[in-house]
Amino acid sequence: MIKRLSAATLLASTMFVAACQQQPATETASAAGDCVPTTGGSVNLYTARHYASDEAIYEAFTCATGIRIQKIELGADLLLARLQAEGDASPADVVVIQDAGAMGQAANDGFLVAFDDATIDSRVPEQWRDPQGRWFGIARRARIIAYDTQRVQPSEIDEYADLASPRFRGKVCAQTSDAVYNLTLMSALIDRWGSERALEWARGVVANMARPPQGSDSDQIRAVAAGQCEVAITNHYYFLRMAESDDAEDRAATEHVALAFPQISGQGSHFNLSGAGLAAHAPNRENAIRFLEFLTGPEAQGIFASETNEFPTTTEATLPADVEAYSHHAADPLPLPAFAEHRAEAQRIFEQAGWR
Amino acid sequence: MRLHSLRPTPLRLGALVAALIALIPLVAVLVTAAGPMADSLTAETFWRYARTSAALVLMVGIGTGMLGAATAWLVAMHDFPGRRLFSWALVLPMAAPAFVLAYGYASLFDVAGPIRTAWRTAFGWDPPLEMRTLWGAALVMTLGFYPYVYLTLRAAFLSQSTGLAEAARTLGLTRRQAFWRVTLPLARPALAAGMALAVMETLADYGATSYLTVQTLTTGVVRAWSIFYSAAEAARLALPLLGAAVVLLWIERAGRRTTSEAGQSRWRELERARLSGAAGWGAAGFCLLLIGLGLILPLGWLAYLGLGAEHDMSRLIAGGRNVLILGLIAAAVTTGLATLVALGARGGRFLPRLVSLGYATPGAVMAIGLLAPAGLIWRAFPATVSSFLMAITLLILAYAARLMAAALEPIDAGLQRVGRSMRAAARSLGETETGAARRVDLPIASGALFTAALLVFIDVLKELPATMILRPFGFDTLAVMADYYAKDERLGEAAWPSVVIVLVALPAVLWLTRRVSHSRPGDRT
Repeated sequence: MIKRLSAATLLASTMFVAACQQQPATETASAAGDCVPTTGGSVNLYTARHYASDEAIYEAFTCATGIRIQKIELGADLLLARLQAEGDASPADVVVIQDAGAMGQAANDGFLVAFDDATIDSRVPEQWRDPQGRWFGIARRARIIAYDTQRVQPSEIDEYADLASPRFRGKVCAQTSDAVYNLTLMSALIDRWGSERALEWARGVVANMARPPQGSDSDQIRAVAAGQCEVAITNHYYFLRMAESDDAEDRAATEHVALAFPQISGQGSHFNLSGAGLAAHAPNRENAIRFLEFLTGPEAQGIFASETNEFPTTTEATLPADVEAYSHHAADPLPLPAFAEHRAEAQRIFEQAGWR
Repeated sequence: MRLHSLRPTPLRLGALVAALIALIPLVAVLVTAAGPMADSLTAETFWRYARTSAALVLMVGIGTGMLGAATAWLVAMHDFPGRRLFSWALVLPMAAPAFVLAYGYASLFDVAGPIRTAWRTAFGWDPPLEMRTLWGAALVMTLGFYPYVYLTLRAAFLSQSTGLAEAARTLGLTRRQAFWRVTLPLARPALAAGMALAVMETLADYGATSYLTVQTLTTGVVRAWSIFYSAAEAARLALPLLGAAVVLLWIERAGRRTTSEAGQSRWRELERARLSGAAGWGAAGFCLLLIGLGLILPLGWLAYLGLGAEHDMSRLIAGGRNVLILGLIAAAVTTGLATLVALGARGGRFLPRLVSLGYATPGAVMAIGLLAPAGLIWRAFPATVSSFLMAITLLILAYAARLMAAALEPIDAGLQRVGRSMRAAARSLGETETGAARRVDLPIASGALFTAALLVFIDVLKELPATMILRPFGFDTLAVMADYYAKDERLGEAAWPSVVIVLVALPAVLWLTRRVSHSRPGDRT
């Protein structure tokens, strides 16, 4: 019996290995055509992003350079934990995470290494680069307010502070506090306002909530559309995605909802970053740097905008009209290390304020 | 176990190795928990999480107990339209991971979902039907987990000697009184065992509770780890969960022992009370309602959402193929290891209970426990760190550690049917311990081995944390894909892998119920 079992196991594993080794071949085949022939080289990518836009960028990169992308998609926390466990043995070349806080943490933990690159420095403005050069932004997402156009004047939400005003008692919808974009928003507020005022604000918003924090950003927008709340905290691209959705209900939901870009004390709106960096022990350093440069090129930057509705961090990309329409809004020029620095305090303040 | 029986025989050594595989992650959690303090959670928040966990466990325990008992009682002791169909169909919700049910329910009962929107349009006010609450989560998990109680309790009813209930009847009890005073008390251990399984699943869950915004101790574990970056704090928060798991496993084990003693000797086909007319249709309607709420409604809604969404068939097929093959290998390996534990530690009660702990350990905690030993291996053999085979090997071992209990339970039960005298006879005829195990124990318990393999396979299909963190480059499973899409707020796209998980799990679940039915005397369905 045991013999038979182990024979079956062996057979299954052989099939498995055979089946899985075919996979890369079929992937590169689809990217053939006018592409550069494969060099045999590759880049090992650890990414917390998992969007169709990224697949398109990988394909474009492989096509342009002949370098294959091998990726593992992991949530930011698991990604950092895996890098930690692998230590210097880590095969990671490039780390990509859609959160400036987690990127900062990766840099602080020594998982990333600074490198000088004139191309990237010339394309990405200083505001979107780590001051120590360990990582830089590749795409931006605004954390802003969706409001009911029938009941709210845009002038009533010029500032994030307005969310805590008595005007919106029982009218605010938001996600739970551990939603990473709430944490970066709070980190920005702590940096700009100080902990005390940030806590006051959180208390005010909690008092204004139409329902206990729940659901996703899209759910907040739908709740505004359904009349459960008048204003909701959301990332901009979920709104754009719903507005251009194939789903008629999603499109209808955005008909009397609009986006407002509030300010942090007049400094600009809060944007979080998708960041990229070179892994500290990258075995394919050359290829990795080519890929990092590619991410800041007009093609990749354009794909972020057209596929995921994110704002580029560079200025050369062509944007689709709906992204273009919002792209003039100023961003709060907070130094990037602030996001990792204030993360724990942000969560503590939320908890203190009763924002679950 | 007496001291002189601790001689190292091949079987005992095998059991030791298997036990080590299962215990290493748990030891790693304990070691991590001893790490530096970080003041991440306030005491107030901790107690809020703990209270929510306790309330959820209580509600799911009671809910699954009631639903499972009612269905087992109906199907095992009554005849009504569709009874034979329901006897296996009632297990079907087991094919759907709890997080998939949560996707379906959260979306159906969202304020902008179809039900509340229609209600508002019709009546002008918003009905209080919110699934993203403690009550909602309890409902979703009860619907998903009641089959555990149904399966164990029905098996217990069927294996009970009919003599006792008949004696009660001749002593003047009505059928109903006999059930409450004889049949149910005799099956109480099985009821406790089924509820313990359901509760362990509840404690270990993160996907469904977090999607439904119910913040339990597991939320605390995840926050400590991913926001405060303190693995030590996360591991410490997991200790009460592990403690609860130890208690539940003890209950479950105690239940198993007593059931086997109560279900002896005389049996014949149970006499079933015929429910006719309204009662019969009522019973059928009740069973149908459960299957509808536990599987058809949430999954049907997801499938509907999926129809309007894009999907990448080749990725779905690759994900399905990956998890199918992983599941088969993991089922074989885990069943093999569990068999070694069951044979090698026979008579001992301590070891089996310990190796089962992985099953009740929340995924996030298990991830911490798995990464630590994996990291040691990676650093010791840096060349293997990006090796496909190494990653798969680690993943299979992780599944074995996490799912050992699922395999061990049926195997233990199967081996109990091999009498001591039979083994003694084999030994006196010249077989070694290993030979007796191979030629006597395993053939007799082969059905149980198969049941064990099926259970592990079904669990691998739904598994997330270990797969997520240990898989090799470019390797997705269906559960991983569903999770990504759901996190990206693309429920329609998440529906595709979710539905495929259920479709792949269904045959295994059906096979499993047939096995359970056939393994019991007195039931032909």
